[in-house]
Amino acid sequence: MKTKYWLLLFGTLLLLGVVLTAVLFTGSGSTRAEIWSDGKLVKTVNLGIDQIFTVDAETGSNTIEVKDGAIRVMEADCPDHICMERGACSGGAPIVCLPNRLVIRFAGAAEPDASAG
Amino acid sequence: MRRYTALLLLLSLLFLCGCGQKKAAETVFAMDTVMELTVWGSDAGNHVKAAVERIRELEAALSVTRADSELARLNAGETVALSADTESLLERSLALREETGGAFDPMIYPLVKLWGFTTGEYRVPAETEIAEMLAKVRTGTVELEDGMAAAHGAELDFGAVAKGYAGAVLAREMKAAGVESALLQLGGNVQTVGLKPDSSRWRVGIRDPWGGEDSYLGVLEVGETAVVTSGGYQRYFEEAGTRYCHILDPATGYPASSGLASVTIVAEDGFLADGLSTALYVMGLDAAAEFWRSRDDFEAVLVTDNGRIYVTGGLRDCFACEEFQVIER
Repeated sequence: MKTKYWLLLFGTLLLLGVVLTAVLFTGSGSTRAEIWSDGKLVKTVNLGIDQIFTVDAETGSNTIEVKDGAIRVMEADCPDHICMERGACSGGAPIVCLPNRLVIRFAGAAEPDASAG
Repeated sequence: MRRYTALLLLLSLLFLCGCGQKKAAETVFAMDTVMELTVWGSDAGNHVKAAVERIRELEAALSVTRADSELARLNAGETVALSADTESLLERSLALREETGGAFDPMIYPLVKLWGFTTGEYRVPAETEIAEMLAKVRTGTVELEDGMAAAHGAELDFGAVAKGYAGAVLAREMKAAGVESALLQLGGNVQTVGLKPDSSRWRVGIRDPWGGEDSYLGVLEVGETAVVTSGGYQRYFEEAGTRYCHILDPATGYPASSGLASVTIVAEDGFLADGLSTALYVMGLDAAAEFWRSRDDFEAVLVTDNGRIYVTGGLRDCFACEEFQVIER
């Protein structure tokens, strides 16, 4: 009776582990982008899902579009618009809007851990 | 039956432990760039917090544009009692200037200003202006004794080494505090602490000088180290069809045109990696290769203007890219 109880417990745990691992691995297989605003991670988006959203911060606001596996800053109230000029990207160095303190980082299995240059 | 139970127990633990690694991250806007700090392990949040404070402290001492910074006061002609950081940076910068035969020179700040690289109001100075400024820069001296410094007719700028120095300081202090795994990205400079949380090496992409910010030239696999790239593509302006890059050759006062598009240095010490990436860019391929042969404290990836990639011997097995040549000892 006792053995059965333990068996059931660890069986459930094992199943839970397998499911969790599977979920996590499929999650990191496709490219994701992390949206950082004023030093904090505010949103993680899957580049496979088209969407448009706005990040508002004290420093300013940026409207971001995810489309066809790429992400871009569509509109921004920063003075230089360097973030918008970068265009739609699906990887590489982070997209940065220095005036508005916005950073879009790429994460995923194919992306390096860091970029130099 | 009991054996199966034990096996199941082990398996469950195996699957579950992968989810337990703690991580803390923050982006910091400092030193005219964006920095991303990531620390793994217990107490990661506090280590990140301490690092952010340390960056602010370094910025306050080393900024060349803040009127009240130690550096700005030194440049204004005051005799300044230096903090340990500024003293170390000054001492090491002057030493590196000697070692690189002047290819790295922290005293060319007046020339950098003349070209407008400090303000973004770029212009091509007249030949006579450059000659005059160059003469002035060459006669300038800096005195450093017992932590007291005075500049005589000289203006300094640590822009080429400050981020690398900051990375080295942060890595050292994190390790002393017990951090085993951290990734510090200081605006294009990379500094790692230990290995990745899963004990594999870090993969650092090196930017393609022509591919824009979306593409990598190749990927370096590294352990605990600093990786720093200097390239003309990072900041430049164009006038009358000519491109003027932000890295000046201290010998001529003009933007370096040594035939290199970018130089990446891999070195244990972030200060050295940062300073040498600039110096070797100024030197050009042949002199850079010779310089590498004369030392044993760094490795390099050099990309020429015509797209050839050269890698020093120590990196041959940890650099992945389509095609490259190896520079031998």
